[in-house]
Amino acid sequence: MRARRALLFLAIVAIQFVGFEAALRTWGHSEAAPAFQALFVPDPIVGYRLRPNARTRFATAEFDTEIGINAQGVRDDRDIGPKPADERRIVVLGDSLVLSVQVDLRQTFCKLLEARLNRANEARSGRPIHYRVINAGVQGYGPVEEMFFFREIARAFEPDLVIETIFVGNDAEDAVAAAPRLKGSSRSVAESASESLISRVRRIVRHSMVLQVLRLRVVSVTDRFSHWLSPPEPPLQSYAATPAPRIAEGLQISRDCVRGIAQDAEAVSAPTIVMLMPARFQVDDADYGRLKQIVEAAGGTLVRDGATARFDEALAPLGLARFDALPALRAAPPGPDVFFQQTVHLTPRGHEIVADALEQFLRRQGF
Amino acid sequence: MVFNSLQFVWFFLIVYGLYRILPHRGQNWLLLVASYYFYAAWDYRFVALLAASTIVDYTCGRVLASMMSQPRRRAVMWISIGFNLTLLGFFKYFNFFAANLQTLFAAIGWHLDFVTLRVLLPIGISFYTFVTMSYVIDVYRRQIQPTRNFVDFAVFVAYFPHLVAGPILRATALLPQISHPRRISREQIRHGLWLIAWGFFQKIFVADNLAPLASHVFAADAHPAGVNVLLGTYAFAFQIYGDFAGYSNIARGTSKLMGIELIENFRFPYLVITPQAFWRNWHISLSTWLRDYLYIPLGGSRGSAWNTRRNLMLTMALGGLWHGAAWTFILWGLYQGLLLVLYRPFEPAFAALGRAGRAAAWVLMFHLTCYGWLIFRASSLRQLGELTQSLFTRFALGSIDVTTLLTPLLMYTTPLLAIHLLEARADDVLVVPRLRIGLRYSIYAATLYLIFLFGNFGGADFIYFQF
Repeated sequence: MRARRALLFLAIVAIQFVGFEAALRTWGHSEAAPAFQALFVPDPIVGYRLRPNARTRFATAEFDTEIGINAQGVRDDRDIGPKPADERRIVVLGDSLVLSVQVDLRQTFCKLLEARLNRANEARSGRPIHYRVINAGVQGYGPVEEMFFFREIARAFEPDLVIETIFVGNDAEDAVAAAPRLKGSSRSVAESASESLISRVRRIVRHSMVLQVLRLRVVSVTDRFSHWLSPPEPPLQSYAATPAPRIAEGLQISRDCVRGIAQDAEAVSAPTIVMLMPARFQVDDADYGRLKQIVEAAGGTLVRDGATARFDEALAPLGLARFDALPALRAAPPGPDVFFQQTVHLTPRGHEIVADALEQFLRRQGF
Repeated sequence: MVFNSLQFVWFFLIVYGLYRILPHRGQNWLLLVASYYFYAAWDYRFVALLAASTIVDYTCGRVLASMMSQPRRRAVMWISIGFNLTLLGFFKYFNFFAANLQTLFAAIGWHLDFVTLRVLLPIGISFYTFVTMSYVIDVYRRQIQPTRNFVDFAVFVAYFPHLVAGPILRATALLPQISHPRRISREQIRHGLWLIAWGFFQKIFVADNLAPLASHVFAADAHPAGVNVLLGTYAFAFQIYGDFAGYSNIARGTSKLMGIELIENFRFPYLVITPQAFWRNWHISLSTWLRDYLYIPLGGSRGSAWNTRRNLMLTMALGGLWHGAAWTFILWGLYQGLLLVLYRPFEPAFAALGRAGRAAAWVLMFHLTCYGWLIFRASSLRQLGELTQSLFTRFALGSIDVTTLLTPLLMYTTPLLAIHLLEARADDVLVVPRLRIGLRYSIYAATLYLIFLFGNFGGADFIYFQF
């Protein structure tokens, strides 16, 4: 009797699983959605990258965008072939703040910058030079992946200028997490091919939205459990008055990676500049107040521009030009938000402001 | 330690494991230690207040039992009431009254320089002071015999499932269950587990997901259109219901697992058609407390019509003040009192309503209740005025916020209402565990899926903790 009841319950669970899976696939657009996950493909060197020629639609309560990846594996509606003589190429490396799946391609600061440079050049000299700004941002990348991505893929785009975008909010942490990759401990292609039971399970989980969400729940519970066993560390360590030692380590790794990018770029005669991108709370007072309380409740002290200052200081010895997007975003006159509310990414208005400020910076620097 | 925390899950598993192997007296000691630990997990400094309230009221109960003189007995009862109200008044209302007195005197040119005390509100104080007061009053009225066993009494006051947010239990209901050995039936376990799951659903799926919607509309710098004020108020109505009913259900469920029955605190309050029925179904333990220890002693409905109205208004105003030290709470209480007063002459007419009339009355009552929640949720009288003005003068359907208000509101309330209707039709809040097996299992599985897939696991506090 008990066994029969258990079977009945399992059958109901399975039927509802199919129902919820179908509902989530139909209406539940999120980064956990298989359609979004299909944008990525494993890469033996970088770890993963954007899947060449992938297409998907990404919609949430705040935005609804079509995302297209070109044959070279960057977000663009045109392929990148050999550079024509009249073309100047700027490659923008970075993470999700550069990729910007929240806005249409034409609204990204890369394409806005491209349009501004072409317009200004046309008006000024009328010379037949065309600028192309290549969005080489990939969701979840940190300085380590960006260095590998440039070395393995983006260097071939023949850049005339490389902009390495540092998200000051988490790039130090990302650099620490990806540091083993620098020592060549990434899995080989052969290893990736030999599938263990765990990786099979992982693949199944990756392809189911229901299982993806449940996996996130389990991760969150185990995280909380580990925090419960040892006192939790205040969040936003990159901004902490006295950050964990790994932040200094992350800054050093980031500096090494930016140096690596600059050297690789120099090898193809392209200068490199560094762009520092702030977190939303550095611009949004209400968000800052909320996070300050959370950090203080966890026993920490939040220094609002701490991470920007740390990255600025850490990268200064490289002697590269540095552009900080924070002052321009903070000085934005009252109007629509510059960051989305439910993500840490720029709104179309935020992209406009960054593109304007970046164009002025490039002009001032004589690029 | 909130119910929706991992800390509570471990706490309960350990306590329950020990509980099941201990004899009756050992169980009571365990409940006492666990309850004080549960309370100390918030702020150990306030444990002394809980202990003081327990000792004073236990002693008053014992003294009352040994006294025959009515004036002396009355004096002892007032000592207990005075002690509890002083505790409550100081910790809950001192800041409020001091600030208002300052404002009042400032208006006539006297600038009083009060010593500013940042009095912290001990969690659950409104609940356990009412529990202990009712005990002493019941002993005074000779409705119950005072307990001799101090441990039993201390468990009755501090019993962790109901300690910080109710239900406000009566000694008549709980003390005998603590004093006598308990047997845990399979049905109690089944019902208890369902109540816990359903409580988590109400809290994590409904309340915590609707909270941002309500906050969006009630934000200090928001100037929403009337239709969005209405949606935000609906969201808050279901948020506060999900939050509080969820807590009560988890409390009842955990208690059932230990063989102790707590009273129902909610019976589908949004499906009623009269203000009287609303208060019979919303926070039942508070409304019956106010009825038995305030409204009836004031004279209830025994005197003239005017006296009845006065008693209703006074009871509800104090009920509002019980929720917190703010004018909006008092205004909410007065509003509820006014609804009850206005309803009384129409009572026979409501009783005679046909199907269409009842439907119309339900729509009216639901919106009157929601307007009450608008008063309750407004951060100030000024905001209340602004939102009310928006509701009545800027109500344009075209400006409805479909994406961030309407769609999530429908998504998070529809499953709740479906179960609500099922329960109301059977007039049984525990109808789900009694359904036939296929339907029952379907509801169990869907509830778990909805919690884990769409629940907000941010671990937000329960609203009623602040009361």
